[in-house]
Amino acid sequence: MTTKNIATADMNNRVGPVMRAGELADAIIEAAREDNPGKEIRVDDKRAYLRIDTDDEMILRRETIERNLGRPFKMNDLEVDLSSFAGRIETGPDQIRFYLLKHI
Amino acid sequence: MALLNRMDWYDIARTTNWTPKYVKESELYPDEMCGSMGIPMEKWEVYDEPYKQTYPEYVKVQREKDAGAYSVKAALERSRIFENADPGWLSVMKAHYGAIARGEYGAASAEARMMRFSKAPGMRNMATLGCMDEIRHSQMQLYFPHEYVSKDRQFDWAHKAYDTNEWAMIASRHFFDDMMLTRDAISVSIMLTFAFETGFTNMQFLGLAADAAEAGDFTFSSLISSIQTDESRHAQIGGPVLQILIDNGKKAEAQRQIDISFWRAWKLFSVLTGPIMDYYTPLEHRKQSFKEFMEEWIVAQFERSINDLGLDKPWYWDQFLHDLNIQHHGMHLGVWFWRPTVWWNPAAGVTPAERDWLEQKYPGWNDTWGQCWDVIIDNLVEGNLAKTYPETLPVVCNMCNLPINFTPGKGWAVKDYPLEYKGRLYHFGSEPDRWCFEQEPERYAGHLSLVDRFLAGQIQPPNLAGALAYMGLAPGEIGDDAHGYSWIEIYKQMRMKKAS
Repeated sequence: MTTKNIATADMNNRVGPVMRAGELADAIIEAAREDNPGKEIRVDDKRAYLRIDTDDEMILRRETIERNLGRPFKMNDLEVDLSSFAGRIETGPDQIRFYLLKHI
Repeated sequence: MALLNRMDWYDIARTTNWTPKYVKESELYPDEMCGSMGIPMEKWEVYDEPYKQTYPEYVKVQREKDAGAYSVKAALERSRIFENADPGWLSVMKAHYGAIARGEYGAASAEARMMRFSKAPGMRNMATLGCMDEIRHSQMQLYFPHEYVSKDRQFDWAHKAYDTNEWAMIASRHFFDDMMLTRDAISVSIMLTFAFETGFTNMQFLGLAADAAEAGDFTFSSLISSIQTDESRHAQIGGPVLQILIDNGKKAEAQRQIDISFWRAWKLFSVLTGPIMDYYTPLEHRKQSFKEFMEEWIVAQFERSINDLGLDKPWYWDQFLHDLNIQHHGMHLGVWFWRPTVWWNPAAGVTPAERDWLEQKYPGWNDTWGQCWDVIIDNLVEGNLAKTYPETLPVVCNMCNLPINFTPGKGWAVKDYPLEYKGRLYHFGSEPDRWCFEQEPERYAGHLSLVDRFLAGQIQPPNLAGALAYMGLAPGEIGDDAHGYSWIEIYKQMRMKKAS
């Protein structure tokens, strides 16, 4: 995720998780697509980690992750592979939200 | 037994600000330790941590993380990484463990200060978990390299480095002591958790994990990316603090603390992370350049989060962006040149193919740092190894404690940034370094850089042998070229081809 002009690289509205590679990351990519209809979900695969983002707001629901994993999942278990994230975070038992307050 | 939903009890469980009966509030929360800037208790109680975690959840999740990292280590124990990895990659691990493992215990102490002295109950909870995180980080990063100690004494520096006066260690300690061990709870939450952990730790624990995976070192990759999942949570301690400071008219102070910590972290990473990403990691395994990782993590992600909080870019932002192209090349050249004084074996990283890569990532490299390396290469080709060692000391910055260096060759524009304070003349490598000192001169004034100590006669005998003894570098630990100068063969062949 590098740009031609580093001086304006911070002028973005990207939000979303940076996951350690593995089955949970794959389920999160699917959940990001399902839970954020109409939004472009970008995936930058760095082998050790995957940067999954979209603009302004991303919601991930527990039920969607469960369905994609094919097993029960507690929302706070996301932490096992959530290495970083872009934007702000709001954690709840049934969903997690990444967002920015200001659009630029 | 049915369990209550976490959010049904979370708020009441963290409402732990009681009215003290036997002591005054100022005794329970002395300002030197709290640093609450005169903001009253009730204002701190609005603190709402965005990344919520309860203790039972914490234990379960951490157990799973540990099981993952340790099982990867166990599964790959026979993969012979030590025997098979490029020597440059082993140097990456040695530099990383020495500079970081014991510092994590320091971070546990910093988290403990927030745990005890934060006026916001949610912040105390978060810091309790953060403190245990940091103990985990130190223990793992001491345990993982331990298997290599019997094979290579330099790995012993994972534990030893912090107890020495080795120059890079003095620089690390000066930074980490400043941010973690000598600041009040609120300052720690800004300077350590926000400025350092939401920003720079991503470089060392995720950017480097990407390189590690490419280099086939999945144990190291899994370890450091697992550590960063803890950071990802407890780094969120600082965000709500900044919001409270801004809402209570303390934006300028918050900004000042971010600007100090950010600059100091940048300088340390220019000597630690820059060289290992752009020179030590074997060319074919480099996922991105140091500058590209900095753009991804620090400019696009971290600076954007500063903006969203309503804060400003650090005042030296343009200089920082400019220095991203240059600073770490000078640091690398210096580390390789003074290679007996480090606990790892620096990889030169300047074969023709590597120089092409550097020129592509940093246009102009050959006309600047390349010219210095040309002289070193000529000396090595001609067998004059002695000429590739230094005969003098560098000038060391009195803030970052790293050699003052600027772009050589056609871009040469060296400058000292001096300051006289209470009769002593200090030297700095940049305006922001001098500015950091000026913010709180008494905090820094008494410190002697390694060169100051040398000139004060504290290092005896005053020669390289005396310096190595002072720095704790024993035979078998003293750094040398990672590849034993074998990379010079290609230049010898080129020279012979040219002559024939």
